[in-house]
Amino acid sequence: MSTPYLAANESAEPARSWLADAGRGLSAILPPLALLIATLVLWEIAIRLFKVPTFVLPAPSAIVASLIESRAALLVAAKATAIEVLFGFVLAGVVGVAVALVIVRFERFGRALYPLVVLFQTVPKVALAPIFILWFGYDLAPKILLIVVIAFFPVAIDMLAGLQSVEPSFVALMRSVGASKTEILRRVRIPHSLPHLMAGLKVAITFSVIGAIVGEFAGASAGLGYVIQFASTQLDTPLVFAALVVVSVLGLVFYYLVELAERLLVPWAPKFDLMHRS
Amino acid sequence: MTTAIASAYPASVAASAPVTDTAPIHIAAHGIAVEFSLNGRRQRVLHDINLSVPKGSFVSLIGPSGCGKSTLLKVMAGLVQPVEGTVTVAGLAPQEAARRRMIGLVFQDATLLPWKNAVENAAFLLMTGNTNVKRADAMARAAEMLRLVGLEGANDKMPSQLSGGMRQRVAIARALALDPEVLLMDEPFGALDAITREEMSQCLLDIWERTGKTIVLVTHSIDESVFLSREVHVMGTGPARIIETLPITLPHPRTEESFADPAFTRAEARLRSLLIESHRTRGTGK
Repeated sequence: MSTPYLAANESAEPARSWLADAGRGLSAILPPLALLIATLVLWEIAIRLFKVPTFVLPAPSAIVASLIESRAALLVAAKATAIEVLFGFVLAGVVGVAVALVIVRFERFGRALYPLVVLFQTVPKVALAPIFILWFGYDLAPKILLIVVIAFFPVAIDMLAGLQSVEPSFVALMRSVGASKTEILRRVRIPHSLPHLMAGLKVAITFSVIGAIVGEFAGASAGLGYVIQFASTQLDTPLVFAALVVVSVLGLVFYYLVELAERLLVPWAPKFDLMHRS
Repeated sequence: MTTAIASAYPASVAASAPVTDTAPIHIAAHGIAVEFSLNGRRQRVLHDINLSVPKGSFVSLIGPSGCGKSTLLKVMAGLVQPVEGTVTVAGLAPQEAARRRMIGLVFQDATLLPWKNAVENAAFLLMTGNTNVKRADAMARAAEMLRLVGLEGANDKMPSQLSGGMRQRVAIARALALDPEVLLMDEPFGALDAITREEMSQCLLDIWERTGKTIVLVTHSIDESVFLSREVHVMGTGPARIIETLPITLPHPRTEESFADPAFTRAEARLRSLLIESHRTRGTGK
């Protein structure tokens, strides 16, 4: 811990710039971490001071106790939810990319498809959950389907924006030397759209977690959403919060996996990093 | 380095770059008119443009913004179809000339692909379309062009690592890699700072002298047009047309000292008064 911090205080030599980066990252994490700890401490004190019943709002210590006590069950539930998120997210990505490519490559059909996609987006997807349960039962399928309808849209829209934002003069230049639409799509539009696609995927992964939980609320026999619903009917509020903590951690892990993929796949992408904003 | 360029461009061309006035006409435009529709109304942006560019010459199009000089360049590149008149590039319709890689284009923005390095960018158009160019050959040719534009050793640099001037040099190398007969440039140095502009002007002049290409430059800058060209076409608006063609008698080779030459000062003063006049009458419909 101390090494990168020291490096950050030294002048940022190019050779050890990653150390300096890590040091800056650490100093960026410290303030929010301190605020979080302070909030938790205040929360704990308030609960004890005003003697708030645990089933209304548990103290952080009670949530931690519940986390430890029910760790086996939470782990099983997290695994079930993670599988739904993973399958749903991948499928949403595939559908989103396909929609964007079809709209761009087949302009005429695209003009018909695009308004319908937008129209579909205005349907409250959460309301579809009971229907999907009705059609596909209580298993994996309805959750995955729900995730796809919730999460494909940001992927499609961002990918589309990326495909269409290629410099028109450059497209004209390629066409003038005899490039076909397919060649322009393959060699310029698609690579150009990748940073946009990754931005869409980052939104989609958070939507995917929401979709999985909502799907489980609507009808499930496993998963974190199921645990939350079950625990709340039992007035086991600490377990509800414990499950929420696990959901958050799961969402965070998935989000950073996508961000890692972004760094590896599209290193030329402009960085939108709040922490290191200069 | 020099041997590679010398092999591509024989010494005779390099020595005799400034053309004689008897050179054959390379780009010919007769009675060009272009219309765009704006809010459903057809608007004439070019009217009865006549222009001829001798082979191996360097000409500039200068005029107030919105006078249609970029549109005229696009007509020569085959990117815009005129509603009236004919254009030929080396005796061919511009689109056919472009397909045969006889036209090199450079825009104000370098439009490099950020995921490709300098040499891949310079080779990109060479490998575009139905070509039988092998990748290795294209890369070798692109590397040679990067040397020609003064970017030796920058082959592996990504566009984000290059300055604005260097990116524009890559764009010029990309156009030259096609070994075009004409180089059409639309305010290629418009986004660069003053010092870089002068450097690039010198670089472009150097390229012209070495390769003997026919170059048409669209520019805002009076200095640039006088320093670089053998002939400057001044354009005016309302309707857009060429109001005067000014031969530049500034002797070659042109260097920094050329700016102090009386011929330079005379041409500059003449162009300035023409531009001021055309600016004054702009939009009056005369």
